[in-house]
Amino acid sequence: MRPILLQGHERSLTQIKYNREGDLLFSVSKDHVVNAWFSHNGERLGTYEGHIGAVWTVDVNSSTTLLVSGSADNTAKLWDVSNGKCLKSWEFNTAVRRVQFSEDDRKILLVTEPRMGFPATLQIFNVENGVTENVSSEPLAVFHPEGPKITVAAWGYLDKYIVVGRDNGSVALMDPHTGKYIADNKVHEATLTDLQMSTDRTYFITASKDKSAKILETKTLQVLKTYTTDTPLNSAAIMPKVQEFVIVGGGQEAMDVTRTSSRQGKFECRFWHKILEEEVGRVRGHFGPINTIAIHPDGRSFASGGEDGYVRVHHFDEDFFTFKFQI
Amino acid sequence: MPVSSATNWADEVDGEEMPQTFTDANGITTTIEYKTNEDGKKVKITRRTQKKLIHDVVNKAVATRKKWPKFGKEKGNRPGPDPATTNVGDNIKLKLSSTGQIVQDVDEKHEAMKQQLQNKKILCRICKGDHFTTKCPYKDSLGMEDTAAVSTPPPAEEPAPEEQQTGGKYIAPHMRAGASGSKDRETIREKRDEQPTLRVTNLSEDATEADVSELFKRFGHISRVFLARDRETNVCKGFAFVSFTMREDAQRALEAIDGRGYDNLILRVEWAKSSA
Repeated sequence: MRPILLQGHERSLTQIKYNREGDLLFSVSKDHVVNAWFSHNGERLGTYEGHIGAVWTVDVNSSTTLLVSGSADNTAKLWDVSNGKCLKSWEFNTAVRRVQFSEDDRKILLVTEPRMGFPATLQIFNVENGVTENVSSEPLAVFHPEGPKITVAAWGYLDKYIVVGRDNGSVALMDPHTGKYIADNKVHEATLTDLQMSTDRTYFITASKDKSAKILETKTLQVLKTYTTDTPLNSAAIMPKVQEFVIVGGGQEAMDVTRTSSRQGKFECRFWHKILEEEVGRVRGHFGPINTIAIHPDGRSFASGGEDGYVRVHHFDEDFFTFKFQI
Repeated sequence: MPVSSATNWADEVDGEEMPQTFTDANGITTTIEYKTNEDGKKVKITRRTQKKLIHDVVNKAVATRKKWPKFGKEKGNRPGPDPATTNVGDNIKLKLSSTGQIVQDVDEKHEAMKQQLQNKKILCRICKGDHFTTKCPYKDSLGMEDTAAVSTPPPAEEPAPEEQQTGGKYIAPHMRAGASGSKDRETIREKRDEQPTLRVTNLSEDATEADVSELFKRFGHISRVFLARDRETNVCKGFAFVSFTMREDAQRALEAIDGRGYDNLILRVEWAKSSA
């Protein structure tokens, strides 16, 4: 396969995301810009400009009308996907590390960092389900979660839970109405770097700096599968169709790259068999650690964003679809 | 008949300009063109094309999104990927394997090497401590003695160990294990240069090494005497080098012998210039 290289960013990528149909790919990086791309040919649809700090996170609603982004300039912005117009800008005391639309598209969850005396918060905002500028400036709820710092968060199935991953390697389940933790489970040894839900949100995959990725059941936080690699992981994604695979990626920390030699730092996307927990293949290409991976909803392509500032969109060859794992 | 052999200019132009196009029953269109290539030769180009209408069902929302005008930095740009932001990378093969051995293989090699290096202890050549030789704290004090000790045994006495052939491959003599490498030779030369050496000229043809050393050894210990001899006749060419171990001895010898008569000739003694 010949990957499509998207060079819309000047700094390292922080997150990439497909919309529900998978025709658009959104990428954010530390260079303040949000880019929208057509995933089939890599054509850039446009840019969303207005942030004045590194953009940490992005999410799009299921009807591809609204886009939300969270940035280190202490704001989260709501955008009209079709024309790049900023509809709303919420301001916070600290940087926004994670944003996500709820399953019904009516709410957004936001995670802000603890910094300079301000505690970490997890806030929920109400967004009208449709493009409008009359979005409330006030949050629906503000929670001050106790315990370790939250690094990643996602809505659970039917918006019944919020799943959070924390920097001590634990995963916790939160009630979105009260903000109280229902359950938690320390599954990793080091900080969680990514948490992606399966299509039906009944299970999710976590990636951690402790070099492993795990699949957990949402309701019980039970570890179902473990994928242990030889490098710190920055991202993990579940393939929704075609093959029962997960893709994980990472690499040595950017600051450690020059201190270690050989094999170019293991900057590869690794394909693991989801059920049998066996590595089946690798895709190389990045010059730096892989920061984020997203898989097309139809399972026919995937994209990876790296510390090197590139997004690589890979459309699988024909033999990928016919591959059968032999036991 | 000159007219028929030379092609008419009008015919030639017609042949080039007019591509013939016809469509057959299967819907294949054939186009035949004539062109003159770089060598001035006429070539026939035949192209067969078939048009096929492919119906593809696309999500309505996706289809509408494709028609969205570009915005932001892309505002006003033509549809289609812009080479400034979108490129196609090198072909990458995703080799899927059930055993997982292909991907592990490289790792194992890597690990094996790591293991090997882990067990290996770093040993300083100077003080036998566990650090690199270059980092040795006694490099300046101990280091000198050590190198001297290494180079004192004359290389000629060492019998070169016979062929430690590795896999029947030819190895040049100077590359063989045990052969005094060019590096050793270099250190010897350096060493020689360091020694106080006198150049003695205007020697007679009959002089020998023994004569010269006889003459100079009364001033101190001589480490080396070199008498230049003619390659064919093997008679003295009239000059010699004498190396002393001590500089003072050499100095005294120079003062005493310079200008002295020896074998009907007046000797001239001076400090030898470094060969470099």
